[in-house]
Amino acid sequence: MPATDLAPAPEAPRAPLTKKALTADHPTWCPGCGDFAVLASFYKVLEKLNYPQEKIVTFAGIGCSSRFPYFVNTHGGHYIHGRALPFAAGISLGRDDLHVFVFGGDGDGFSIGGNHLVHTARKNPRLTYVIMDNSVYGLTKKQTSPTSPLGFKSKTDPWGAFDQPINPMRTLINSGATFVARSHATQVNHMVEMMLRASQHDGFSVVEILSECVEFYPGAFDNSIPRKGGSFQTIELKKHDGTPEDEERHDPTDELAAFKLALEPWPARFGVYYENKARKTKNALEQDLIATTREKTKHATDLELLSKTFARMR
Amino acid sequence: MSASVRPKPYLEPQYCKGCLRCIEACPRDCITPGSAINPATGLVPVELHLENCNGCTLCLQACPEPYGLRLETDRAGLEGEFVLEDPAKLFGEKCVPNHSEGDLPDDRRALPDCEPLVLKGTYATAIGALLAGCRHVFGYPITPSTEGAELMARILPKLNGHFVHAVSEVAAVNMMYGAGGAGLPCMTFTSSPGFSLMLEGVSYMIGAEVPGVFVNMMRGGPGLGNIAPEQTDIKLACRGLGHGNTHAIVLTPSTPQEMLDLAIDAFALAFRYRNPVILLGDGYLGQMTGKVRLPASMIRPGLPAWAVWGDRAHRHNLISSIALAEADLEDHNEHLNRKYAAITACEQRVDCYRCRDAEVLVVACNTPARMAKGAVETARENGVKAGLFRPITLWPFPIDALAEIMPGVRRIVVVEAGPGQLEDELRLALSHANIAPPPIDHVRRCGGNLPAQDEILATLLAREEVLS
Ligand SMILES: Cc1ncc(C[n+]2csc(CCOP(=O)(O)OP(=O)(O)O)c2C)c(N)n1
Ligand code: SF4
Ligand code: SF4
Ligand code: SF4
Ligand SMILES: [Mg+2]
Repeated sequence: MPATDLAPAPEAPRAPLTKKALTADHPTWCPGCGDFAVLASFYKVLEKLNYPQEKIVTFAGIGCSSRFPYFVNTHGGHYIHGRALPFAAGISLGRDDLHVFVFGGDGDGFSIGGNHLVHTARKNPRLTYVIMDNSVYGLTKKQTSPTSPLGFKSKTDPWGAFDQPINPMRTLINSGATFVARSHATQVNHMVEMMLRASQHDGFSVVEILSECVEFYPGAFDNSIPRKGGSFQTIELKKHDGTPEDEERHDPTDELAAFKLALEPWPARFGVYYENKARKTKNALEQDLIATTREKTKHATDLELLSKTFARMR
Repeated sequence: MSASVRPKPYLEPQYCKGCLRCIEACPRDCITPGSAINPATGLVPVELHLENCNGCTLCLQACPEPYGLRLETDRAGLEGEFVLEDPAKLFGEKCVPNHSEGDLPDDRRALPDCEPLVLKGTYATAIGALLAGCRHVFGYPITPSTEGAELMARILPKLNGHFVHAVSEVAAVNMMYGAGGAGLPCMTFTSSPGFSLMLEGVSYMIGAEVPGVFVNMMRGGPGLGNIAPEQTDIKLACRGLGHGNTHAIVLTPSTPQEMLDLAIDAFALAFRYRNPVILLGDGYLGQMTGKVRLPASMIRPGLPAWAVWGDRAHRHNLISSIALAEADLEDHNEHLNRKYAAITACEQRVDCYRCRDAEVLVVACNTPARMAKGAVETARENGVKAGLFRPITLWPFPIDALAEIMPGVRRIVVVEAGPGQLEDELRLALSHANIAPPPIDHVRRCGGNLPAQDEILATLLAREEVLS
């Protein structure tokens, strides 16, 4: 019996999801932390998606940002530093009926979890991963993260960081993630749009959100905040309307074009970089494999199959 | 307890990051945002005004820093001098020679006399390592041990060394394998979850006989647990260093001074035996500040003959833990066993405090030993002949010294911040030595709580029959 058979039967329609129903513990973030806005936007996304509340799962690794699951009233898990993705992939593959969201920081995702990130992207399980990138280790109080810029002075790089930072968009596209987008915690509407698109994508979808750590890296993202003199440049997507302007617009299915966008100088642009709707999810491929092998067994019962196997071992 | 007698909080400004959560939590407006930058941290700690404080502890619960806000009553036992009874006992002559033929020997340089420094435990360890000649530090941040690595990051470039913030503890331990294989004294600072991750590499280092020093400031577990002090990696360090036939010397300091002294010792031992050494502290010890005397000399390390030298003469040196033929691997394990036996014979260290005539023997190490010592003092004042047996090496367990004391001991009380891992080591050692123990009681706390002096004293006084 597949695990999904364990899910309870559908019930009568009920009231739409509200922020009130979705809030849990009061966030323990520092006042002014960018993560508050990500949380508020996520509530909006869930309101719009209006999934049955018990079908939503929110996971995280370890970090300030990874405290997320405590603040969302859904099923949740808080896991090992850097290992939230395999954990979430396990749930997603075992329970295809659930909507799986993972939240975490740049250190969690790109440093200790970097290997998992690459291979989760390659395997393409159906889940949405939101990286709250503050370009620093917040929880452990200011060490260099893989996205800290060159020259960043931290407690582990008191002389200024000199390891080449990771370019998250480039890394994600290159690893084979099938939906890659980027947003900014000061732009609520944009964040909602990106997270919404990501959660509607059938596959491994990632949104990197620049989210300022006011405690240990204040001002990190000022040059993409208009109110602070920066500029917030979005990616215009192709409308396929045949107009000359459309030539200039970005086609997110074009991997090479996505790469070019990713290589634009910091702070680069915000929006959907890459989207691949053609690749099947790991969930679907597993189901295909099960279907063909079950076909071959002529849909014998577990007991029949096991008895046959044991008979051969006698 | 009435409001008037409830203990009030106090602030350790150097551990406050000024996040202001406590201000929100306090129902009596006792806490205000600070105005002065703390020079030690560069952050702005809050200020406490406790006239209206009712000791509700809501601020403590809100504070994310394990050492930021504490209760006044927790100060007892944690402050004040805690001096070794007889340092010579800990650092005396050892039976295995430090150098074999072909080694480029260490060079010692005298240090100028100076006043004792006032250092926290993690810093003391870092200074000790520097004086022992360590210039290569690999780590991944984890509270409560990161500060040692952070100090190294600041100092090492000036000393022609480097600190590498690795991508994870797994990367860090393998960097140590590399640097250690090149014969360089190297180390890491970590805490329990990070130590778990490193164990694969530790097993390989033991197999390939690569030296390296692991500083593990133990925190609450299992899993993520918390960042407060515990002693629940004793089992890992003494019995579970990855897979296979593994052992490593496990040193358990109780003061910043010992953090420094034992760090120096740890490097000597790691190279003497070509084996990792575990410096096992607890979260509190790393944060504790104390007076630290520097040694008379510092070391410029030589290069052992077995290491990767990078010259023709040593071209055949190979660092590996693989031995495919069964006979070879058995030989190798027997070689390791001889090494473990030599360590067990030569390297047991213990601090015995008022043990000579002790009828009630308290066994404790790390921070809980400090509370235990206070309890032993008070028990003596109450007429109980108590003594403190404080292992400095948990592996090898100092059973020889214990065996000498045991005939007079009528009762043992094991004090630990954990559910019995220290007691297991004690019982195992007694059992191997064929010593039938008297009744063993214990004071155990977990979750980041340390055994309090009063609790220990109550247990010490609990059995009437030992009152003289
Ligand atoms: C195995 C392990 N190593 C180290 C840590 C300590 N640690 C907790 S969070 C963190 C990094 C936090 O940075 P990031 O992922 O960027 O999250 P942020 O706090 O910035 O949101 C580290 C190193 C840990 N919990 N587990
Ligand atoms: S330390 Fe930084 S990332 Fe963490 S809660 Fe505070 S502002 Fe946010
Ligand atoms: S103990 Fe209670 S009243 Fe006192 S400072 Fe803390 S929160 Fe305020
Ligand atoms: S909650 Fe703790 S760290 Fe934050 S301001 Fe208060 S004392 Fe400082
Ligand atoms: Mg971060």
